[in-house]
Amino acid sequence: MKALDQPSSPHIVPGRELPLDGASLAGLMRAVLDKGKPFRFEARGTSMHPLIQDGDVVTVEPFAEGGPRTGDIVAFVHPGTGGVRVHRIVRAEAGRFLLKGDNALGNDGALGRDALLGLVAGHERRGRARRLEPAFISPVMAALSRSSWFTRLCRRVRRALGRPGRRARGG
Amino acid sequence: MMEKIDLSRVYGPSDDVVVREIEGEIVIVPLTSGIGDLEDELFTLNETARDIWSRVDGSRPLAAVVRELAAEYDAPEGLIRDDVVGLLQELFDRRMIVEKG
Repeated sequence: MKALDQPSSPHIVPGRELPLDGASLAGLMRAVLDKGKPFRFEARGTSMHPLIQDGDVVTVEPFAEGGPRTGDIVAFVHPGTGGVRVHRIVRAEAGRFLLKGDNALGNDGALGRDALLGLVAGHERRGRARRLEPAFISPVMAALSRSSWFTRLCRRVRRALGRPGRRARGG
Repeated sequence: MMEKIDLSRVYGPSDDVVVREIEGEIVIVPLTSGIGDLEDELFTLNETARDIWSRVDGSRPLAAVVRELAAEYDAPEGLIRDDVVGLLQELFDRRMIVEKG
């Protein structure tokens, strides 16, 4: 027989204090998106710098009909780590999606649709909503990001302007 | 006026929640505001609450749930009933469970 030694009130906990590993976060996000609802969480890392920065809160939505498309910024399950990352689709071809962070020199490989969780539809920095980017920019950024020279160039420009872009460390 | 939990009625999880087991705990993400928000408050259930939650599945009246728990727990049925009703009332008021059938 079990002892009734605990009050059974639900414990209210801020979501950011939950000990979520990558797989748990991915599972939670997928379950919410499968219900057609958006999901908000704090993005970590600098691989999408400067557009999305470490600590920004991003909102991920279910893909609309016809999506995902080249240029979209998406949340996906990284095949190597099983963790959630937010990167851009730089090429979509025959049901495979090549993903890369704007500030990353290498890509994540061509992933199947199952690895993609949802579309990043907005983000906030220090509590203030920020515009992601105009829609026409997305495919341009995808084309430029396919090779690492553009990323290197951006880093040099930022350094020259005194705003050195931090090196990508995941995210 | 707030509706009271009734032992003769059948309750089950609302469609406006996502429930996952994480690190051995049941985590409930409310979607009542239209979004699953990790920046907001989520709910976790301890072992007793988890035993209650797993039985509140829309298949039987709450009184049957209390009887099942009374057979499993070393505690007077009245105490278990109060505990179940207390938890269910809180979850009901937060729209995490709804009346079924």
